[in-house]
Amino acid sequence: MTDARGLLVLEPGVLTTVQDLGRYGWASFGVPAAGALDEEALRLANRLVGNAESAAALEITFQGPVLRTAGDLDLAVAGGAFGPAPGKVLRVADGEIVSLASAPGATRAIVAVGGGIDVPLVLGSRSTCVSGRFGGFQGRRLQRGDFLAVFPASSAPLLEASADLTQPGDGDVVLRAFAGSDEGEFDTAARAAFWRTRWKILPESNRMGLRLSGPSLGLVETASRASEGTTRGTVQVTADGHPIVLLGERPTTGGYPKIAVVAAVDLDLLARTPPGRNLRFERIAVTEARRQLDAREARLRAFPGGPT
Amino acid sequence: MKEAGEFAWLLAFEGEEAEANEAARRAAAAIRTSGMPGLVDVVPAARTVLVLGSPELPASRLESFEAELPRTGPAVAPRRHEIRMTPDGADLDEIASRSGLSPDAFLEVFAQLDFTVGFLGFSPGFAYLYGLPKAFHLPRRGTPRAVVPAGSVALAGPYVGIYPAPTPGGWNLLGRTQRRLFDLRADPPFLFVPGDRVRFRL
Repeated sequence: MTDARGLLVLEPGVLTTVQDLGRYGWASFGVPAAGALDEEALRLANRLVGNAESAAALEITFQGPVLRTAGDLDLAVAGGAFGPAPGKVLRVADGEIVSLASAPGATRAIVAVGGGIDVPLVLGSRSTCVSGRFGGFQGRRLQRGDFLAVFPASSAPLLEASADLTQPGDGDVVLRAFAGSDEGEFDTAARAAFWRTRWKILPESNRMGLRLSGPSLGLVETASRASEGTTRGTVQVTADGHPIVLLGERPTTGGYPKIAVVAAVDLDLLARTPPGRNLRFERIAVTEARRQLDAREARLRAFPGGPT
Repeated sequence: MKEAGEFAWLLAFEGEEAEANEAARRAAAAIRTSGMPGLVDVVPAARTVLVLGSPELPASRLESFEAELPRTGPAVAPRRHEIRMTPDGADLDEIASRSGLSPDAFLEVFAQLDFTVGFLGFSPGFAYLYGLPKAFHLPRRGTPRAVVPAGSVALAGPYVGIYPAPTPGGWNLLGRTQRRLFDLRADPPFLFVPGDRVRFRL
């Protein structure tokens, strides 16, 4: 057929946005990286449908959208068990309806489409920048009636494999982390409390950051602190002594002291963890965090059918 | 130099903030043009430079940018901007009275000041300008406003800032400009780069 291939949004879900691996190189102009919170899910879902790992896809949160296809499309959902075939390629014929309604316990997932979602590159990325109202689909979350065009699918074969990603499980989620650049500003008791506490993820969390509730780490003098560039996974402590884990859509600069940095290799799991769950931080050295990241790259490369 | 991520480093500069910021800007420019492999982004801020890299980045080479900076000025003359401002900010009277001046007297002084873009952050295109005399340094408002109008020129601490888009904000509102700080159809899309000089015209 010659009509546009794509996805019509019948129901948008709670928070559905177009994301790729993020927007890099513009932080010195205040532009957040954005991008999929679950990078591993984005990369594997794209691989399943024969896309480049960086192709734009949908990030869905809590409750996914209901979509109608225009043209025959291949979809892959990864990161959370939404829809009829999570982790596997789902071949959908023209005009069919795909429901990605909530899955028990699932928080977030990526929906990749063979070819990738066709939205304009803005400052080098197709990710939605909600705070700047640009990128993605018209700079906003999806609404009923939106039509997402899809690029022609590549000739790369679909993968038979299944992307079964680590899930939070029933117990506390353990995040490995290393010392933050301002650790020295916290007294011994505050530091001990940070690493010992069983923190709870608050519902006020969003794509900018994950707010944690637990004992206050003490009042921190923040009024006179100078703003510094921020990184993904940094745990900063607000003026009332509560930690926030900075995520993909965090502002590029911030003035709160940084007590720790969550290992990048554990941020994907965090993206799959719902509010209300408990988590703990486990201290590792930054060298170990790098080693874990290397190991993850090796695992991703070895995913069936990937580049060898 | 401190680790800010697996492949991210924070370089810090000492001294009075505007001077530390100048050192940070100079270091950021030098790192950008160093041709170092594996560089993803370089983010100058008030008194630090955040260097985002990949495994190929030779981190040990970054130390030198923190340790010994070229003391010479910028190689190219900074760009100059004149920003027309309507002095109708909701906090103008309070800003003036806390500085011990009438609104007119405050604005007359303000329009004579030379500002420097120290860094951008908070939201896309939001610029932190240095150059405010100490007598005009004001704390942020106790309760931030839910929405500050786009183009608002505002004061907080040592900074003058301009809100590129309507966002929540706790700064003291002085006036508004029609100039766009951030326009994706323009090339370049951002009006300011760190180091630019700015004056306000009423």
